[in-house]
Amino acid sequence: MAARLLIRRAAISAARPVFASPFRAACLYSTAEKPPSSAAAAQSPPSEPDTHFGFQTVKESLKAGKVAEVFSSVASSYDVMNDAMSFGIHRLWKDYFVRSLNPGRNPGGQPMSILDVAGGTGDIAFRMLDHAEKINADRETSVICADINADMLREGEKRALEQGYMSTNRISFRVENAETLDSVPDNSIDLYTISFGIRNVTRIPMALAAAHRVLKPGGVFACLEFSKVSLAPLDTIYQQYSFSVIPLMGQLIAGDRDSYQYLVESIKNFPSQEQFAQMVKEAGFMNVGKGYEELTFGVASIWKGVKPLDSK
Amino acid sequence: MITTLRATPFRLATASKAISISTFCFPLHRRYHSYQHPPPTSPFTPAESAILSAALRHVPLHGFSTVALSLGARDVGYLDVSVNLIPRGVFDLVKYHLVTERLRLKISVDFRRLEQSDGAENLSVPAKIRVLCVERLKANLPIIHRWQEALGVMSLAENIPASVSELAKLSDEMWFLAGCDSHDMDWYTKRAALSGIYASTELFMTQDTSADFRDTWKFLDRRFSDVKSIENITSNIATWVDFTAHAFSNVLQSKNVRFRL
Repeated sequence: MAARLLIRRAAISAARPVFASPFRAACLYSTAEKPPSSAAAAQSPPSEPDTHFGFQTVKESLKAGKVAEVFSSVASSYDVMNDAMSFGIHRLWKDYFVRSLNPGRNPGGQPMSILDVAGGTGDIAFRMLDHAEKINADRETSVICADINADMLREGEKRALEQGYMSTNRISFRVENAETLDSVPDNSIDLYTISFGIRNVTRIPMALAAAHRVLKPGGVFACLEFSKVSLAPLDTIYQQYSFSVIPLMGQLIAGDRDSYQYLVESIKNFPSQEQFAQMVKEAGFMNVGKGYEELTFGVASIWKGVKPLDSK
Repeated sequence: MITTLRATPFRLATASKAISISTFCFPLHRRYHSYQHPPPTSPFTPAESAILSAALRHVPLHGFSTVALSLGARDVGYLDVSVNLIPRGVFDLVKYHLVTERLRLKISVDFRRLEQSDGAENLSVPAKIRVLCVERLKANLPIIHRWQEALGVMSLAENIPASVSELAKLSDEMWFLAGCDSHDMDWYTKRAALSGIYASTELFMTQDTSADFRDTWKFLDRRFSDVKSIENITSNIATWVDFTAHAFSNVLQSKNVRFRL
């Protein structure tokens, strides 16, 4: 299996040009499929705010394209790399995340409608549906997988077919920007989840506002994301690991060093546990407990917020 | 009694300093109690309290369970998924019961009012402690048939620290309300002893089938008398150790060994 994957990876990386830098990557991508973003950069007004793309500073309008490029290039090897980088722990985090949310109909209640943003490959969505079915005996709860990246969604659709969920109407895939969520009506969602996605959003407060808009009063916002390791000695080891080992792994396994360089840089740039909990609160949610829960010494954390009943 | 300061002996010295600071940075985190500070308040937010108090009403039928939580959430207009607002789930439901009953204690048993109306001014501190214990145990009556579930949840490894701390707070509250004014090592031993008595009686009560829980109250009285005899034993042992040590030093001094105790 592993050998087959490696061969497949080698074939894909041979078919794709090897990018020297993320900047160049964005240029190649944009000439092929999008309006030239290098030209857009030249034309964009000087007042346009900057944002982070890893450790680089780029114009806000460019970040989405660059992130899209990263995920288009890693879509097929996404789970293999996740397993390799986290020693499989990401599966435990995701399982715990879903278990703690307990999706599905409770006795005497209604089925839930769940929105999984940045959930292209369906990782969280399938776990939600499995949990609803196996724990709560609920075959009606449905998940909308929204992702800005069509390549990731195709990967998810492929898996949904394999797992037999495509024939039911319990899962749907939509290309959707987390900052706007245009096709999702107001007050229509019970549970909004975003797992390892919010750090790639250009304007995080806008994404939180969109989450607040689509959730029903009493609905739950839940975010699983990398965070800061609080113990200094462990943090040193963790930083060493993420900046020297992960890009190398990306190069060897996925044939794409730059995307994984971006990954570790974007993790480093993401706000701390407390800061993000404060952002969730400022978006109008009630923090759950102290606002976050650390997993594995804070390598990842879960933030939860509940939309108050009296909010529109 | 009004001047009773509920403070650990080591914190007493800082209490007066804290009072002057408290006017500037309020609320002050404190682990002792005094009349100079606002009384302890509930650690739950209004939304949490709303869900949890509604959920408690479902406990007699559904037990300390996620079902009771989601029924409670539904009662106050939340969605089923909103129970995620309660970070520790069922344990928070148990804790809510513990905290609210602890805070209710000072309202339901007010010795100052009792003393005025019933002429109960002669109630000794141990007698007051007994009244408080009985009152607190009676607060478990509506859910006593489900209380073993709660004890089970409290004894899970991740919940033990919070459960023990809640027991310590209850014990502290009782001694405070009874007007205990110890400020030496007694402060600690009294609280530890009462915690033990209360916890064991509560456990006994879950198994008690006698009418009006007569056996429980007898059990409680036996534990109090145990403590009294333990106090006697420890003081006897202390006297004996003290006597023997002095006798030994006297023997040494009589042999011209320079030794003083």
